[in-house]
Amino acid sequence: MNNVCEEQVFSSIFKANSKTVFNYIYYKFGNEEKAHDAVQEAFVKLWENCAKVMPEKAKSYLYTVANNLYLNVIKAEKVRLKYAKPTLEISNESPEFLLEEKEYQQKLDNALNDLPENQRTTFLLNRIDGKKYAEIAEMEGVSVKAIEKRMHLALKTLREKIDGI
Amino acid sequence: MQENYLAKWLSGELSEQELAEFKKSAEYASYQKLKEVSSNLKAPEFDVDQALTQLTEERIGNAPKVIALNPFKKFLRVAAAIAVLIAGSYFYVSTLDESVATQFAERSEVVLPDNSEIVLNAGSSVSYSEKKWDKERNVALKGEAFFKVAKGKKFTVSTEQGTVTVLGTQFNVENREGFFEVTCFEGLVSVTFDGIETKLPAGSSFMAINGQVMDTSAPTTSQPTWMNNESSFERIPLSYVLNELERQYNIEVNTENVDKNLLFTGTFSNTDLKMALKSISTPSRMNYKIEGDNVLFYAEKTP
Repeated sequence: MNNVCEEQVFSSIFKANSKTVFNYIYYKFGNEEKAHDAVQEAFVKLWENCAKVMPEKAKSYLYTVANNLYLNVIKAEKVRLKYAKPTLEISNESPEFLLEEKEYQQKLDNALNDLPENQRTTFLLNRIDGKKYAEIAEMEGVSVKAIEKRMHLALKTLREKIDGI
Repeated sequence: MQENYLAKWLSGELSEQELAEFKKSAEYASYQKLKEVSSNLKAPEFDVDQALTQLTEERIGNAPKVIALNPFKKFLRVAAAIAVLIAGSYFYVSTLDESVATQFAERSEVVLPDNSEIVLNAGSSVSYSEKKWDKERNVALKGEAFFKVAKGKKFTVSTEQGTVTVLGTQFNVENREGFFEVTCFEGLVSVTFDGIETKLPAGSSFMAINGQVMDTSAPTTSQPTWMNNESSFERIPLSYVLNELERQYNIEVNTENVDKNLLFTGTFSNTDLKMALKSISTPSRMNYKIEGDNVLFYAEKTP
């Protein structure tokens, strides 16, 4: 039987999930350093408890640990997200268009920063990591419907902010 | 429009009719733009391999070392427990009083730390603390013993009935059930009995039977007679004499039609049972029978 204590199994779990754990914590708190720490902490915990955690439960175990880690710490901090800008391929677009794009992205960043933590996390996990609502629901430990609600509200709020309503 | 239709639209779960309706709405273009731009968002760089290396080398790499330490820790724990036990028992044993006891038909000599001597008669015991000996010379006595006390600080013999304190002397203490006798052979001893202190100069004795202080005659010997393998009595109730006989020979003595309160004066041998039995029975006008370890005294038939 597969055991998380086996190095092969453990490192494959790491490779499959560490990036998402990193992003998950980053989306929540907008702090890269803490996201790195969360990854380390979560996987150390998993390794320490490898005998008790079944491989199929490892994923949700990681998110639970990562989430609990900063449960009380970062709530007070002001979130300042910085998203790597999509490097626009060299294009023949007009300078006006490029400027417009840049402005739009600025607005989007600001709007994202102002979103409630759970809406932003859901939105970005879906948009950046391509996570299905069901997957996000599992990570957050809530129902799919709750995630859909968050997504709906995130889209609505973002559009209103960007369009200046 | 169904609930959370924006989420459904994003995941492509709207029905054709709903989608068509949504496309007609004024906000549709904005949402479409948001959808496009947000799909190009990127999270910060995260180097999975580097993070894994860091994890295994810095964090988990230490784990086997920790596990390797565990047996040693366990050993330490056991060792510590054993050390505590040994230290504890040593402490306990070293604070325990030294004690010497004799069985019936047995005698023993004890030399105390200051070279004082105790000779224990049969069926007796003494205990004293070797550790505290320098501070107080205190001996607890059950039964009978002869003391030769070296000169020095106050020497105390504690018994259940009375206390004897001396400085340096030779004396005998007999502390049997209901019977308490101190005989001083040299120097001066002080006997405290029932809270009353009696000074006992050399060549005198103090006796109490059942709590009653009795008159006694002066000892004629320089040490108790039992030291010379004889038991001497002067006007002592027969019951105590027979008890002493039991102790000296480790036998069981029974009586039939005998008044054990009769006072006995005389001496019996501690080495020759037949002689001893004769010594007791003749003056008391009794007969005796021996059956193994049992001796029965019975009244002589009056003619």
